[in-house]
Amino acid sequence: MSREAYQVPSMGGQNAFEGTSGMAVDSPAVVYICGHCASRVSLRRSEHIRCKECGHRVLYKERTKRMVQFEAR
Amino acid sequence: MPPRKRPQAPPAAKPRRPSEAGPNAATEPLKRKRSSIAKEATLPAEPTSEQAQTQPQTDQTEEPASKYRHKDPFDALLEPFYYNKSLTDPIDTAKDKWNLLPAFLKVKGLVKQHIDSYNYFVEVQLKKIVESSSTIRSDVDHQFYIKFTDIYVGSPRRADETQDAGIEFQSDVTPQECRLRDTTYAAPILVDFEYVRGRQRVIRRGVSIGRMPIMLRSSKCVLANKTPAQMTVLNECPLDPGGYFVVNGTEKVILVQEQLSKNRIIVETDPKKEIVQASVTSSSNERKSKSYIVLKKDRLYVKHNVLSDDIPIVVLLKAMGIHTDKEILQLVAGSDSLYQDDFAINFEEAINVGIYTQQQALDWIGSRIKINRKTGAYRRTHVQEAVEAIASVIISHIEVKDMNFRPKAIYVAHMARRVLMAKNDPALVDDRDYLGNKRLELAGQLLALLFEDLFKKFCFDIKMNIDKVLNKRNRAEQFDAWSVMSMHGNHITQGMNRAISTGNWSLKRFRMERAGVTHVLSRLSYIAALGMMTRISSQFEKTRKVSGPRALQPSQFGMLCPADTPEGEACGLVKNLALMTHITTNDEEGPVRNLIFMLGAEDISTVSGMQLYAPGSYTISINGTPTALTRRPKYFLNAFRRLRRMGRISEFVSIYINHHQRAVHLATDDGRICRPLIIVENGKSRVRRHHLQKLRDGRMQFDDFLAQGLVEYLDVNEENDSYISIYEKDINEAHTHLEIEPFTVLGAVAGLIPYPHHNQSPRNTYQCAMGKQAIGAIASNQFQRIDSILYLMVYPQKPMVKSRTIELVKYDQLPAGQNATVAVMSYSGYDIEDALVLNKGSVDRGFGRCQVYRKYVTNLKSYPNGLKDRLNPPEYENDAPIRKHALLESDGLAAVGEEVKAGEVYINKVTPDSAHTTGLGSDSSKPLTWNAAPMTYKLPDPAYIDKVMVSATEGETQLLKILTRQTRRPEVGDKFSSRHGQKGVVGIIADQTDMPFTDSGINPDIIMNPHGFPSRMTVGKMLELVAGKAGVLSGQHGYGTCFGGSPVQEMSQILIDHGFSYGGKDMLTSGITGEPLPFYVFTGPIYYQKLKHMVQDKMHSRARGPKATLTRQPTEGRSRDGGLRLGEMERDCLIAYGTSQLLLERLMISSDIHEVDICEKCGFMGYLNWCPGCKSSRSVVKMSIPYAAKLLIQELMSMNVAARLKLDDEFPEMKGR
Repeated sequence: MSREAYQVPSMGGQNAFEGTSGMAVDSPAVVYICGHCASRVSLRRSEHIRCKECGHRVLYKERTKRMVQFEAR
Repeated sequence: MPPRKRPQAPPAAKPRRPSEAGPNAATEPLKRKRSSIAKEATLPAEPTSEQAQTQPQTDQTEEPASKYRHKDPFDALLEPFYYNKSLTDPIDTAKDKWNLLPAFLKVKGLVKQHIDSYNYFVEVQLKKIVESSSTIRSDVDHQFYIKFTDIYVGSPRRADETQDAGIEFQSDVTPQECRLRDTTYAAPILVDFEYVRGRQRVIRRGVSIGRMPIMLRSSKCVLANKTPAQMTVLNECPLDPGGYFVVNGTEKVILVQEQLSKNRIIVETDPKKEIVQASVTSSSNERKSKSYIVLKKDRLYVKHNVLSDDIPIVVLLKAMGIHTDKEILQLVAGSDSLYQDDFAINFEEAINVGIYTQQQALDWIGSRIKINRKTGAYRRTHVQEAVEAIASVIISHIEVKDMNFRPKAIYVAHMARRVLMAKNDPALVDDRDYLGNKRLELAGQLLALLFEDLFKKFCFDIKMNIDKVLNKRNRAEQFDAWSVMSMHGNHITQGMNRAISTGNWSLKRFRMERAGVTHVLSRLSYIAALGMMTRISSQFEKTRKVSGPRALQPSQFGMLCPADTPEGEACGLVKNLALMTHITTNDEEGPVRNLIFMLGAEDISTVSGMQLYAPGSYTISINGTPTALTRRPKYFLNAFRRLRRMGRISEFVSIYINHHQRAVHLATDDGRICRPLIIVENGKSRVRRHHLQKLRDGRMQFDDFLAQGLVEYLDVNEENDSYISIYEKDINEAHTHLEIEPFTVLGAVAGLIPYPHHNQSPRNTYQCAMGKQAIGAIASNQFQRIDSILYLMVYPQKPMVKSRTIELVKYDQLPAGQNATVAVMSYSGYDIEDALVLNKGSVDRGFGRCQVYRKYVTNLKSYPNGLKDRLNPPEYENDAPIRKHALLESDGLAAVGEEVKAGEVYINKVTPDSAHTTGLGSDSSKPLTWNAAPMTYKLPDPAYIDKVMVSATEGETQLLKILTRQTRRPEVGDKFSSRHGQKGVVGIIADQTDMPFTDSGINPDIIMNPHGFPSRMTVGKMLELVAGKAGVLSGQHGYGTCFGGSPVQEMSQILIDHGFSYGGKDMLTSGITGEPLPFYVFTGPIYYQKLKHMVQDKMHSRARGPKATLTRQPTEGRSRDGGLRLGEMERDCLIAYGTSQLLLERLMISSDIHEVDICEKCGFMGYLNWCPGCKSSRSVVKMSIPYAAKLLIQELMSMNVAARLKLDDEFPEMKGR
């Protein structure tokens, strides 16, 4: 078991390695909205999915800031 | 027995609620405070202008009275106009007695049977189950025991919250959260128990032994007794019927199961084998078994699974201690010489085998018992074996107490008598399809069976575990049984979850193996969900070619809907409950038994056979078991009914006389269908005008009608012993009951049809199937839901022509359809074969527009080596995301609101390469690589990302749900239907300019071909049009309630008054030529439903595409971009026509052509111009054959079948040239 515990940080090291190649290190944190109290929650990867205000476990992604064009028919 | 007002009422099932006034209460001082006891209701009511009691059920004293007024079924009758009357109009009992129906639906009906049954299970049956096996004892330490003293279900909570706290612990979990998070909506099952620890007795309270899925809206549910406003806070639809479970995020319904009654004698004949037999399926808590009494060659035998041979009945009766032949004869045949003659022959049987005494009989039976005892038990003598079998296996539901076999002997003799009676009079054979011989099994009973099984297993496991621990001589610490209990908790939880989510009820104890008990709740439309809750599935196998079980039984009147059944395979086997039905729960037998004797009946075990079947004496049976004897059956019946109407016995206990059997039958068991009827006494309805006035004022409710003996429940058997008048005007002296409202013969789904009594009956059945496919509003929380597929209509309308049922089931609040102005005429030729012409202008304005939501879901799994799936940010090329990652944001999920097209990634998931390695040994040095496992949008039509939800499941794995949305306008080929089984597809969408118009400038939305009417005979549709048109002109809704509704004459008069033709026909002007059409056209509004079958989901074509790996033929189905099959019949056509080259091209060249090398010498296939068998390439030739043929040959070879190909020249004369 202790060896497996040793494994995890080595995996983390590789994560960072690949993260730089993915060119997304400085990407802004994505904001989620709590399904219960509607507060804005920004989550990091490997963080538990939980609202920081009310502890609710269902989060929704905020609507995009990009322009969306609809074809009205 | 003290008089009780509402005797058997489960406390939570019938909450007394203050009634509430309707929306027009502002104008009238209507509101009266309701006192909770019926008697007091007659006191002068106090006006409560100061205290607005608008919110029922819960105490709202501390909450400010909200503006929102709770809408419930009662509102329908409080509407200002019904039957064109206002509230102040005088009450006509003949017409207004229907007000009892909404009052009934308030306390019972539709899904209440599910909820009642579940409540009964959780509150009563659970305790009984634990009581029956409450103590666990150890084989090792005889001092040790665990005794369960109480069991109860706590409040619903999440799996990660504390389970060992009672109702005090309040979790904020909601059913909606469980749906979203794919968890189970469950509550802990808590027990109080005492056990021995060391030398002292320890008592523990509120220990969880597992989690029980909670039925929505049951007494344990968080939604119980909530106002609509509170429900909305919980993200739950107030109109949602409840009655289902949420297991792993899916909504599961336990369908009502229909089966033959347990513990009742059924007499059947087999005309082919000349057998008459009486059978009884005994069902007690310990055992289920079936026993028969068979008449073979004029002799009666007892048949049972434990008996290797059939036993002559006289032997069995002798073994049961009926010593003399005379007594046996009297017990079976009474004084009737006909039956005596028939039975006499049976004595020979006993004499032939030399049985004269009880001892001999027991010994003889004992030698014929199949021994299937476990090894290790000591051997018993034949006599012991026989006593055991007779006492507890044969007809096991009759208990034998203190070795008193007489009740069982009487029962056996009674069965034998029934056989003899049926032999002499074929009319006395029972009808298996008669509804009174059936019982309905509900969620509560099925769960009870399941829980009992799991609990027994749980106890057994604990016992084994304790035995193991106690066997160890020197333990480190004192043994605490509590720790063992918590270890086994998962079994019950998972057993329940698995059974409900798979629908497999496999109980070893009862050898019960049932699949398909549960179904996913259909959320196609509101009515589909509602229809599912009233559905009854039959246990009969579908393949049997008998029509009996499928036919409509006359006894189903008022109990089961005559229209709502599927077509085809399950026709008549799947049924639906009618609107005003209730399914009974179990009532205690003991008090009823005492009452029988108090009413002057004699105990049956004290009378001889001679008295039992003496002329004029009637046996009284409780739940099919003869218990008492009376000589005044009619008096007894009336006295009993009077007591029931007074409320001294549960209203669900039924009593009826069967004069053929000369028996009075009482039933207290569960699963009987019953319905309320108004009591008629001395030719007068007991419900009078002042009762209805009080009902309308809210001073009386349905239970008060029951308690005052104005209304009573009748089950099928009792109903058939009554004389029921449908209308009040028809009542004569002989009538016993009056129908509350005739339209309740239909169910909730058939109730949507306007004027169904004017339609040809199959059309109503078709509509019942189609009403469930209509797109509309699903629930008021529909935008909160993330369903795997969800169809919503953009502008649903409530129908112009309503019915009472529509109001009662609140279809008008969650409608599925639109009122289209229909012109019935021929137009353009694109309307043949039921095709519809749609107005393009209407389509532009939103007619038939719907939205389709799809769910895409994935989990981020964790692997045993500690790795986890993860989401990667989009890949970049030249400082921009690559094409297919265009939608992704830095969290690897698509941006909400973006359009997603085919091929684009919306979840950029990656999985670790070494997912299944242990992380130990050599492979740990390998660098970690991630395999892309993205989820790509595959549909050809783009959609918009509507929602992206992230959450965690019970196992803390991350859950991602993405909801996409498409908005669709009707197109050619989309399916529409009116409410009369008249479906059609859009044939053309014509420009509004080309559509005909009326004098007032109205364009039809839909043009329907008149050929749809003559053969279908849907007169109801025409009446709907007329009533709808009159409603449009006069500004009110038409009513098309079954056996009632707005009369056509009145509707025509309204049309005339507004200057229209009485028949609904209009003069139209052609939009194309501008000339008046030379005919009048039937024009008006008809409610049209858009059905879920849309061209966009079905359109498919393929030139070249994927092939199946095994056969190399094109794949099948639209989802796999499959080919279009040229099937057997098409092949036949091509053969008959003689186009061999076309055949070759279709079946081989365009499909799975394959070039093979064949050795002409050995006939086997080789390769690379080489025959491995002949070791030469001399006679190897190339040839094209279908790959499937090549595969077949090789598969045959693998089975040791040599299939050789013999080649011949097609044109031998060409050879050598």
